Amino acid sequence: SVSAAHLLRLHQRFQLLDKDSSGSLRSEDLEAALSENPIGVRIVGAFFQLGQEMVDFPSFVRILAHFRPTEKNRTGDGVQPDPGTQMKCPSSVAFQLYDRDRDGKISRTELLQVLREMLGLQVTEEQLQSIAERAIQEANLDRDDTICFDEFRKSLEKVNINHKLSVRFLE
Amino acid sequence: MATRGRSGFCRSLPELELLLLAILVLLNGTVLSLESASSSEIHTGEGNNTSKKPFPVIGIVYDEVSIPFEISLWVLLASLMKLGFHLIPRLSNVVPESCLLISVGLLVGGILKLARDEVPPVLSDRIFFLCLLPPIILDAGYFLPIRPFVENIGTILMFAVVGTLWNAFFVGGLIYGVCQLAQDTYSEINLGNIGILPCLLFGSIISAVDPVAVLAVFEEIHINELLHILVFGESLLNDAVTVVLYHLFEEFMESGSVSAVDAILGLVSFLIVALGGVLVGAFYGILAAFTSRFTSHTRVIEPLFVFLYSYMAYLSAEVFHLSGIMSLIACGAVMRPYVEANISHKSHTTIKYFLKMWSSVSETLIFIFLGVATVDGEHHWDWIFITATLILCLVARVIGVVGLTFVINNFRIVKLTTKDQFIIAYGGLRGAIAFSLGFLLHTDHKKIFLTAIITVIFFTVFVQGMTIKPLVELLAVKKKHEAKRSINEEIHTRFLDHLLTGIEDICGHYGHHHWKNKLNRFNKKYVKKILIAGDRCKEPQLIAFYHKLEMKHAIRMVESGGGSKLNSSFPSTVSMQNIQPKIQSPPSARPAERALPQLTKGREEEIRQILRTNLQRTRQRLQSYNRHTLVVDPDEEGLDDLILKKRRMMELDWKIKEMTNYLTVPHAQGSPTMSRTRMASGRNTDFIPPQQKKGNKQSADSQAYVKPGAKGVPSIQIDLASPQSPDSVRLLDEVGQDQGLTMSLPSSSSRAYKTGGKDDDRDQQKLLRCLSDPGPSADEDEDEPIPT
Repeated sequence: SVSAAHLLRLHQRFQLLDKDSSGSLRSEDLEAALSENPIGVRIVGAFFQLGQEMVDFPSFVRILAHFRPTEKNRTGDGVQPDPGTQMKCPSSVAFQLYDRDRDGKISRTELLQVLREMLGLQVTEEQLQSIAERAIQEANLDRDDTICFDEFRKSLEKVNINHKLSVRFLE
Repeated sequence: MATRGRSGFCRSLPELELLLLAILVLLNGTVLSLESASSSEIHTGEGNNTSKKPFPVIGIVYDEVSIPFEISLWVLLASLMKLGFHLIPRLSNVVPESCLLISVGLLVGGILKLARDEVPPVLSDRIFFLCLLPPIILDAGYFLPIRPFVENIGTILMFAVVGTLWNAFFVGGLIYGVCQLAQDTYSEINLGNIGILPCLLFGSIISAVDPVAVLAVFEEIHINELLHILVFGESLLNDAVTVVLYHLFEEFMESGSVSAVDAILGLVSFLIVALGGVLVGAFYGILAAFTSRFTSHTRVIEPLFVFLYSYMAYLSAEVFHLSGIMSLIACGAVMRPYVEANISHKSHTTIKYFLKMWSSVSETLIFIFLGVATVDGEHHWDWIFITATLILCLVARVIGVVGLTFVINNFRIVKLTTKDQFIIAYGGLRGAIAFSLGFLLHTDHKKIFLTAIITVIFFTVFVQGMTIKPLVELLAVKKKHEAKRSINEEIHTRFLDHLLTGIEDICGHYGHHHWKNKLNRFNKKYVKKILIAGDRCKEPQLIAFYHKLEMKHAIRMVESGGGSKLNSSFPSTVSMQNIQPKIQSPPSARPAERALPQLTKGREEEIRQILRTNLQRTRQRLQSYNRHTLVVDPDEEGLDDLILKKRRMMELDWKIKEMTNYLTVPHAQGSPTMSRTRMASGRNTDFIPPQQKKGNKQSADSQAYVKPGAKGVPSIQIDLASPQSPDSVRLLDEVGQDQGLTMSLPSSSSRAYKTGGKDDDRDQQKLLRCLSDPGPSADEDEDEPIPT
């Protein structure tokens, strides 16, 4: 897991973010840090998984630990680890960020939401619809109009996703 | 190009070509040799007779045109050679082009020497550095894949700087030692006389990996992007080191002594050379981008600005002894995103093809001249020196790469394996730059140095160049992915970028993504507004990418005989508003409910017009920096073959699918359309090999899948190609019809297909010609957003 020095830094960061020094973070604190990020709200949502209001330091670290560079990164293969471990592979983390209602599939509406967040006001609704449409068409192998995790992974084979999802800070 | 069916005829063709080429080469040689002799004679002959003579009806005045004439002959020779090699596929598979070209150069040099006993000094350093090298480097810089380059910049810099330094000192130092050991005061050239400084100079010349040679060899082996960019990037960036070391040691040789201060000055000089070069390049790049903002009324000279500014960048850097190569790379890389947003589609194509053409010719000429210059020139072959140099170079490279990788792997997320290291070490080819630098030497030992340099070059190019391909196969090194980027990749990549930036922000860690994000923001806010004309600065990249994909999709559908439904949300692009599908289904409707609009002739014309104008605005991003196989633009070349093949592919796929679907009815409506859409959108179905679009060579594979229809089995002929009436448009009318399915006996339907096909081909050609040659007026409305 995360080394002691890094833990210290993370703790300092935690305290910095925790404006009211309550020992745990609320969503507003995190959102303040991510104000410029188009998908900031989504990322914050990932921290508050079970409908909690606050997140304490251990869970903070646990979630960030998903983005550690691990040895598995060498192969660049998003292999799903066995369910016994708590560690999820990075691509499933990304998938969950798309799939907010946790039904295991990215539906068109979810994709539209993501696109809307990323592209904002610069495009028309029609264009967004067509992009979402096309994306689903391309990735969709089982013709159910949604993208399941396997299709997601397949469409990202060329993108070395584990490489991308590693923040060296957390080594 | 030779196809299987005509192989008998074509087998004689390469031989014929070779014969013609040989004749041309001989002609070349004889003309070149005759020119100097004849010109002087005729000239004096003309001068003597000043008295009245009959009006010369025919005369030979060669002197005035001799230089351009010779140059053209050389370039012609080079191009013919290139043609010839590609006609012999067997040869070009085994031997890399560079080797063949050097051999040709040797041959021509030999001919010239026999004819005249003297060879024109063609590889003079001025010609090389001012005319032959810049196009290649500009080509490399302009099409440099920025993302992998920047991601690996640390590794590349380490290899380029530290690796080259290590090589230079190792080789230089040890060769001095060898010389001292092997000195023999009685031989013609006493090795012991070679001082340490000349040895170090020699080491610095020979240690640099050469971009021309690397490009020439690596382009043919198609290894994965990472290795390619590592070796290639190293070869480009080590120019700064080479320049500095070269001048440094030359200065030291002049002054005769070295001090610590000089060493420090050398370091400072290196920083100035490298950074200065980059700054000069970036400056000219920005100038070019700014200029291109105003060229909307003079589209014709747009490419000229690109070339001129880049060349100026190179020359300006050379004036101040900065690194010209780095300046050129910086200029190309900086100006590209902005220039491409500003210039027209045709200018973009022009730039692309001119760069490829010039760099191709340059490369060919360089290798030929290398061969010629080898034949000429005084050589002194000293076994000890040369073998020692060779061994030391190889050893130094291996040790350097291994050592550096060991250090670098601590900082990399994706580590370099032993296989990678081997390829990097093995790919360290030397080339013409080393030779030209050697040519410029002024020492006493120039001869022996030159011979050694040439030997090393020959060895690396011939031996390493020829064996690297089998080795890559043997070691099963990962090859390049050929497939196109899908919109999913684009979306997800951006999503991940945002995600990681967010995580970094949360951690408070100012990492890679943070700075990239900041740079992008700065770019969007300020730079783009200045450098890009009109509204285009606001268009996000994703939208542009999407437009491009849709355009390609539309073209493919219309071309390949009727494809599937039009995407119901097609009118999302601005000028596509004209096409309103009759039935606009909500996005959640099942695919079966979407129907094709019924198109009249008027609509058909509209579609053609719209596609024509929109074709101007899409860009084909070069997928790979590969001069030998330019990606086939759907709106440019080879469409006829492509369409026929695509049609056959689709038919076959259909047949199979329908065979299976015939027994299980339910999705019969949906599946053909889905499969057609999928095919049209370029997915990897089983029957379309990923390399199908990559030029004509590999499309031969697709032939393998086309099976003749089984006789006697009632086959379902899906006539994509024959619409209801021969002169209506390709888009099938699905409403009320069963997708043109006809269950019939093979004989009659095949006849029907053939007749339909002929008409279709003709119509197809007409449509193609419309698409590929938009009228001049189409240039006026160029204000649609262009992808950055």
